[in-house]
Amino acid sequence: MSSPEAPGISGISVDVDHNPYLAEGTGTVDAIVSIAAGNDVAASASGLAAPADRVEAIIIDCSTSMLSPVAKFDAAKRATAAAIDELVDGTYFTIVAGTEKASFVYPTEGWPTQASAATRAAATRAVDGLRPGGGTAMGTWLAHVRGIVVQHPGAIIHAILLTDGKDEHETPEQLRQEIALSEGEFTCDCRGVGTSWHVEELRSISSALLGTVDIVADPADLEEDFAAMMRTSMGKSIPDLTLRLWTPAAARIEFVKQVAPTVEDLTHRRVESGNQRGDYPLGSWGAEDRDYHIQVQVEPAAAGREKLAARVSVVAGDEVLGEGLVNAVWTADTAKSAQISRRVAHYTGQAELAQAVQEGLSARKSGDVATATAKLQRAMELAVESGNEGTAKLLRGVIEVDERTGTARLRREVAAADEMALDARSTRTARVRKET
Amino acid sequence: MTGFDVAGLPAPEEQAACPQCATIGGSADRFCESCGAALSEIRRVAIPRGRTALQDPEAPCSDCGNETHVDEYCTACGHRRAEPDRDEADLGGIALITDRGLEHARNEDAAAAGMAVDSGTARQYAIAAVVCDGVSTSGEAHRAAVAASKAGVDAMLAALTASGKAHAAVVAGLADAAKAAVAAGTDADASAAPSCTYTAATVVPTPEGTVQITVGNVGDSRAYWLPEPPAPPQQLTVDDSLAQELITAGASADSEAVQRGAHTLTRWLGADAEPKPWSDTSVHAITVVGPGSLLLCSDGLWNYLPDAADIARFCTGTDPAAAANALVEHALRAGGHDNITVIVIPIGGAHEFA
Repeated sequence: MSSPEAPGISGISVDVDHNPYLAEGTGTVDAIVSIAAGNDVAASASGLAAPADRVEAIIIDCSTSMLSPVAKFDAAKRATAAAIDELVDGTYFTIVAGTEKASFVYPTEGWPTQASAATRAAATRAVDGLRPGGGTAMGTWLAHVRGIVVQHPGAIIHAILLTDGKDEHETPEQLRQEIALSEGEFTCDCRGVGTSWHVEELRSISSALLGTVDIVADPADLEEDFAAMMRTSMGKSIPDLTLRLWTPAAARIEFVKQVAPTVEDLTHRRVESGNQRGDYPLGSWGAEDRDYHIQVQVEPAAAGREKLAARVSVVAGDEVLGEGLVNAVWTADTAKSAQISRRVAHYTGQAELAQAVQEGLSARKSGDVATATAKLQRAMELAVESGNEGTAKLLRGVIEVDERTGTARLRREVAAADEMALDARSTRTARVRKET
Repeated sequence: MTGFDVAGLPAPEEQAACPQCATIGGSADRFCESCGAALSEIRRVAIPRGRTALQDPEAPCSDCGNETHVDEYCTACGHRRAEPDRDEADLGGIALITDRGLEHARNEDAAAAGMAVDSGTARQYAIAAVVCDGVSTSGEAHRAAVAASKAGVDAMLAALTASGKAHAAVVAGLADAAKAAVAAGTDADASAAPSCTYTAATVVPTPEGTVQITVGNVGDSRAYWLPEPPAPPQQLTVDDSLAQELITAGASADSEAVQRGAHTLTRWLGADAEPKPWSDTSVHAITVVGPGSLLLCSDGLWNYLPDAADIARFCTGTDPAAAANALVEHALRAGGHDNITVIVIPIGGAHEFA
């Protein structure tokens, strides 16, 4: 969820980009809201007297399959050690072994301990001594983390979940329930190693817990990936930001989506927070910026009239850190109302791209070649047009488009890892900045 | 900006500044206590005065009746608290009206007028008036229009009471208005810096019993001299527009190129304007014999009445307030596409400048 560049701003900035002009009789207002947090948005901005505690949980899949090949488990242990290395002194942390149940690896008595040279070394030794054996029930792993974090109210709580397989030793319903119970309690980045796990399954966890999902096809790459994830997490300074949306009476909110750095639909995450007001959780933040696409349906007004279609506030605790206004102005001048904001158009395309990739891959799995070809070809067009090089490159691994004739056909031989990478990374968007 | 009358109420100015040395004296004084210069009463008015001056700030939302507003938006239905659609004023027989029109969300025009009245004889001896049209492609354009129109009238009256030289006064007005329009944008970011048109006129009586009208113009607002028939009405200003340049170069007024460039300005005040945004031909004078009317207006009016003769029909044989009202109503009936602003200054006849 983080972007590598730290914006050179102080505090929280909220920037609205939209075409406010609407034709008479219409009421659909689209806006891209960019939220950026500067380096100094630490404890002071989050309304806390002292910096928030940090709690890190690393969950290593210790099912029997992690031993085939042996190098996979060795890589997982090295990766965990690398992540431990990145822990800032004073961070509470715990290492959890995941099988059909969850068990403490370090500290063995259960409650997280604070990172220091001594505890980091002891944790690394404990991880080194791990021996896989057992099944996979990820819901129990999440429940385990939840049991730990109740000791740290208000802390920035983050988990890394590593698995190599499917969730087999509990029902899908049990997993769904555990995910639902964990929402808002902690954030969770999920990684699948190898190709025997299900992208959709891990995405259901990472999406609900406001984290990332990715494939690490080669176990040798785990170490670097874990270290990077932990570094990003150490950069978070605000436990929870909330997007608060005021809309006029009789307005309908069509959707609220994060659109950069990844597409994440937040519409169903709304919690009513007052009259004509709802809150959407944005998770923990460091110095970073994210873009959101908001679509609101308002009652049309006469030409010449202006209305506030949405007030977007960014809130930490009870404190409003930033605010942006989305207005609507009705006009008879169609040259004005027909314009579509460049960024609204771009991110609408990026959301369609993510959907086309996922639907195309799903059709391909079920053997519907016609649908798969059509969807993936459309995805390729969108990726190329919008400059989303990452997704375009991954798409070339599954579909061939003849540049002269435009005919597309699915590749016969597709590496499982390539397909899973495309699926896992389908929500990553190319960014367009506001013109200045 | 201070000192402009609230129309319809007696002038609140109990004190007046000496035009020569700026010493404040009582308004009944005939001569300055400090430098001995002859004093005159300056009366001014500027519109639109804005919602805050005309309406109760606690008034409920006109759309849904809800009583609270934040950032000028109703907290229930979201409607922006509407500025009054029209503001009008009367200054010693001069009629001023500015109207939002029907299609624009805001009124970005402004008008100001002032007169110097000899404190001893109570005779008007100089009139200054300005119409400005905020350029709607610039943000907060109304700020430039309001600032430039007031600054222009102030500077012209100060110069007229000091020296009586109309050409110099109109140039002084242009200079101060240009500065005011730029200053109106200094706290806005560069992309929102406002700009506006500027059409000014002074009216001073001559010793020969005629009246000298001097106009100064930047942009495409206009001034017309509309004498009582049979004398022909005439447009006094030349638009600074692409269309006018094409017509000057020989293009037909009906040609497609001229129609397309009708509202593309070649000169303006405010953001991105040249340091001296007027040309030497922007200022000129005519000498007239009344009775008749001097009209200043924004393009929201003349778009619907492009010929001086059409405008003149509204102004002959009626008083200035009725004429101004009829002109604005005509533009509204014809579509009200733009903001509409008119100033009608009666000259001669029953007026002081007989």
